Amino acid sequence: MPDDPAESVAVLNVRSVVGIAICFVVAVGALFALPALRSQGLGFSEAFWLISAVELVTALGIAYFVLNLHEERV
Amino acid sequence: MAGFDLLGDGRPETLWLGIGTIFMLIGTFYFLIKGWGVTDKEAREYYAITILVPGIASAAYLSMFFGIGLTEVEVAGRGMLDIYYARYADWLFTTPLLLLDLALLAKVDRVTIGTLIGVDALMIVTGLVAALSQTMLARYSFWLVSTIAMIVVLYFLATSLRSAAKQRSAAVESTFNKLTVLTLILWTAYPILWIIGTEGAGVVGLGVETLAFMLLDVSAKVGFGLILLRSRAIMGDTDAPEPSAGEASAAD
Repeated sequence: MPDDPAESVAVLNVRSVVGIAICFVVAVGALFALPALRSQGLGFSEAFWLISAVELVTALGIAYFVLNLHEERV
Repeated sequence: MAGFDLLGDGRPETLWLGIGTIFMLIGTFYFLIKGWGVTDKEAREYYAITILVPGIASAAYLSMFFGIGLTEVEVAGRGMLDIYYARYADWLFTTPLLLLDLALLAKVDRVTIGTLIGVDALMIVTGLVAALSQTMLARYSFWLVSTIAMIVVLYFLATSLRSAAKQRSAAVESTFNKLTVLTLILWTAYPILWIIGTEGAGVVGLGVETLAFMLLDVSAKVGFGLILLRSRAIMGDTDAPEPSAGEASAAD
């Protein structure tokens, strides 16, 4: 128990944990998605750049969620 | 050609892709087990990042192993080239996270982290354009742009981030220096391998190239994680500078 009653403690932010898990699953799925995207009528370049964008965005998402992995609570 | 065709589909490099998948999976589960139950706030952040890096790399290697992460590009004067595009998708995900590990260690501000990741993304995207270009001139031009972006990233690491890490503690400085040297050596090898490999000048065959990329990837991801997570620098109480010899003896 903190000495100062107003002292804040860092607790795990559940939303960030869920965000990291979702980003990871989406990133893994994207690595295997190219054949499915092509069967939907997308050309190789479109499908490939879409997958690349997903990988970069999910990496940025993970960076954001890791930087907010804990929240201060009084 | 170096390797062994494990799937019987005419790709001897599947041996190296299979071994790469196994190494990355071992790294992922080792870091996961090691990090289970860690309660330190800062250590948790390093574990979260460092587990995900070989995690996504194992998926990328698996997709290349089964040929899902493979395509062919018609290049003028060279004919059809086999391009493992999943490698680039993997790097788009993993290199920003490896840099985030180093940025957290050096405790730099979010603007610096954003700049570093932005230049890193430019490095990978221009590498991707190089890989998919259909003339050798375009391939070499984008390789050059990508290599320049890589030099900028490495310069940032060796200067700004290194001096920031030095301000924290001896443990942080030592770990940061080890990781930076590892990153400088391994990352520099990637564009060299690309330019002499099948996607560049074609001096090295696809089997040797795949083996070399696998060794670089495992070292840059699992090796990096082993050094980082074994260090006490990832614990949250390492900010206080180490006492000098005089201060230590005075305290005694």
